[in-house]
Amino acid sequence: MSPTPSSRSLSSRARSTRARWAVPVVAVAVVGGAVGLRPLVASAEGTDLPDVTVAELLEQVSQAESTPVSGTVVYTARLGLPSVPVAEMSGADPTALLGGSSTLRVWTDGVDRSRIALLGAVSEYSVVRDGADAWTYSSTSGEAVHYTLDEAGRARYEQMRVMAEEGTLPTLDPAAVPTALPDDVAGRLPAELAARIDAELAAGPGVTGELPTPQEAARAALRIGEAYSTFTMGEQKTVAGRQAYEVVVTPKDDATLVDRVVVDVDGSTFVPLRVQVWSTQDATAPALELGFTDVSYATPGEAVLTFSPPSGTQVREVVVPTQEEPSTADGTLPTPRDATVTGEGWSGVVELQGVDVAALVAGDPTALLDPSSQLTIGSETAQDLIQQFRPTDEEGQVGLELDAATLYDTLTTPVEGGRLLSSALVSVLVTDDGRVLVGAVPADTLRALA
Amino acid sequence: MSPADVAVPPAPPAGPAHRPLLPDAPAIRGAFLRLLRSELRLVLGRRRNQALLVGLSLVPLILGLVVRLTQDSALQGQGPGFIGEVTGNGLFLVVAALFVCLPFLLPLCIAIASGDAVAGEAQTGTLRYLLVVPVSRSRLLLVKAVGALVFAASCVAAIAVVAAVTGAALFGVRPLTLLSGDTVPLSDGALRVAGVALYVGLSFIGLVAVGLFFSTLTEVPVAAMAATVVVPVVSTVLDSLPQLDAIHPVLLTHHWFDFAEFLRVQVGWDVLAGGLALQAGWAVVFGSLAWARFTTADITS
Repeated sequence: MSPTPSSRSLSSRARSTRARWAVPVVAVAVVGGAVGLRPLVASAEGTDLPDVTVAELLEQVSQAESTPVSGTVVYTARLGLPSVPVAEMSGADPTALLGGSSTLRVWTDGVDRSRIALLGAVSEYSVVRDGADAWTYSSTSGEAVHYTLDEAGRARYEQMRVMAEEGTLPTLDPAAVPTALPDDVAGRLPAELAARIDAELAAGPGVTGELPTPQEAARAALRIGEAYSTFTMGEQKTVAGRQAYEVVVTPKDDATLVDRVVVDVDGSTFVPLRVQVWSTQDATAPALELGFTDVSYATPGEAVLTFSPPSGTQVREVVVPTQEEPSTADGTLPTPRDATVTGEGWSGVVELQGVDVAALVAGDPTALLDPSSQLTIGSETAQDLIQQFRPTDEEGQVGLELDAATLYDTLTTPVEGGRLLSSALVSVLVTDDGRVLVGAVPADTLRALA
Repeated sequence: MSPADVAVPPAPPAGPAHRPLLPDAPAIRGAFLRLLRSELRLVLGRRRNQALLVGLSLVPLILGLVVRLTQDSALQGQGPGFIGEVTGNGLFLVVAALFVCLPFLLPLCIAIASGDAVAGEAQTGTLRYLLVVPVSRSRLLLVKAVGALVFAASCVAAIAVVAAVTGAALFGVRPLTLLSGDTVPLSDGALRVAGVALYVGLSFIGLVAVGLFFSTLTEVPVAAMAATVVVPVVSTVLDSLPQLDAIHPVLLTHHWFDFAEFLRVQVGWDVLAGGLALQAGWAVVFGSLAWARFTTADITS
């Protein structure tokens, strides 16, 4: 309510005008301030956790494995891959993880039930694991896939579950615990280090039949990891609103594309909250980042951890065959047949032989099922027009359908003797003679090997 | 007219039509409510606004009929968003219709009403008569804001109600399948769809404030409407540029499609609260700008 003009002097009116325009200025400042105060994913403020060593921290982490966790995770990939534009339009789809930023919701009871939902704008891709069953569901295609173990696997799973409930899980066979470094690993290490690790392993579990404790396991992992990398404690951070320790793993080897791996671990629950992988190609931002933006340690509700496919949905049943016991007795990781490893540690290159990638991607059944690939328009002219405006790649192929073949063509570039996928962290070379070389090394290294 | 003009002493009246700084009438109790009632009657009784509401209600009707007629043909299941789901559950027609109207049609209609709120009165020369009503300018602006908000709510409600009725009649309603693939009972599903409509309605608070501000700047309503429509369009364009992700969280349209939270197995209330907080921020900034402009402006028509 303003007074009549006659009742106020010129200066008071000017003052009143100024005062009134000051209100929006203050409003902008307040709103701007509120925006600026939004909690960041990570900050270095207000951390006062007691100092720990890397070994102590790893020990705590390995003990904390069965913590129920739920929260929102933001995943960002800056791999330098060619962008796949259709991913944005087609809704939540795992191919979105190749580049850009994605939001996921994660729930786990810490044992054997979990749900991960990849959120898209008005779409969702869910992966639910409920004991021995697993489901994936895509809201975009409306397809549910049910993964089950085969009979033998199911029986074994059930047996393990009952034993876990009764607390009679078999103790680790002491013969399977390595008491010395496998020769192929030992041969590549400096003699002094190998001898030290050997000594530690021999002293390892000690009493025959005793279970190695998480502490022992953590120390062993650290010792073996230290052969190729340097572990250091970074500055403490606040991640997802929790005070966290930071471990920086730096490869000792500079032939690899990985510059360092940074892991932030909750200082009170010892759940890893954020992992960053930095590439040597980009010092300003991590090539891969996966971290909670908010996290809660309450047990997730029953509704979240169970899944039953919606009625009327086509359910594809996939039976996962029971794999042979991985041969961990000799301490090496099981490698697929026909695979050879060149190099060691971070810069190791895996070479697979006899893989016909072209047939694999060309035979992709989704290319035939996708209704949009057979889109027909009533009039012929319209059909021509649509074909004309469809994005095509340099080989004249229609780039609109995101089947495996198109994806393969988009992501790889033709090079002499094959096709090459090169990203900030990993390079893949598919040669025309059916070999696939994969490694965290620059593309030129792969080409030299091939 | 700039606010600086206000400081200039009133020039001698050039004629009966030109009376700078018309004195505001003293406030009288009850006048505010009477003014509000008459404003709502005006907004909802206006032929143009009624035509907009009818046009918006046609969207779910046409959408439902098209999906129904093509459901057994080769064209089934094609189209954006939830259109494929509609055949299975009429409740989805509400979500599909709002999804289709949200990017452009709804902002257009709401921009027309809010951009017209003050500028329309100025153009027809009725604004100065409104100032004679024993209600302060601040309250007059509040009445205009409420009128525009009620119209925005009516637009969303028109789509939602017509879609619910059409969907139920053409496809029937059954337990709702969420984006997460889980199925919730019908009562829960209906509540979730109502939540979608409510969130979409509340998402237009910021746009109404922007429209109201532009409306106080000009006496040409079309200019205010056009300027208001441009804001969500530009905002959507900026939101699609990954290079600008630093400013994305404050864009007017950034959280509009978060209504999808209601269709997830666990509703992300913090996400919805973030979207509403953003609207509140836009409403505070542009509401206060509109207020500063309207209470200091020299109103001559």
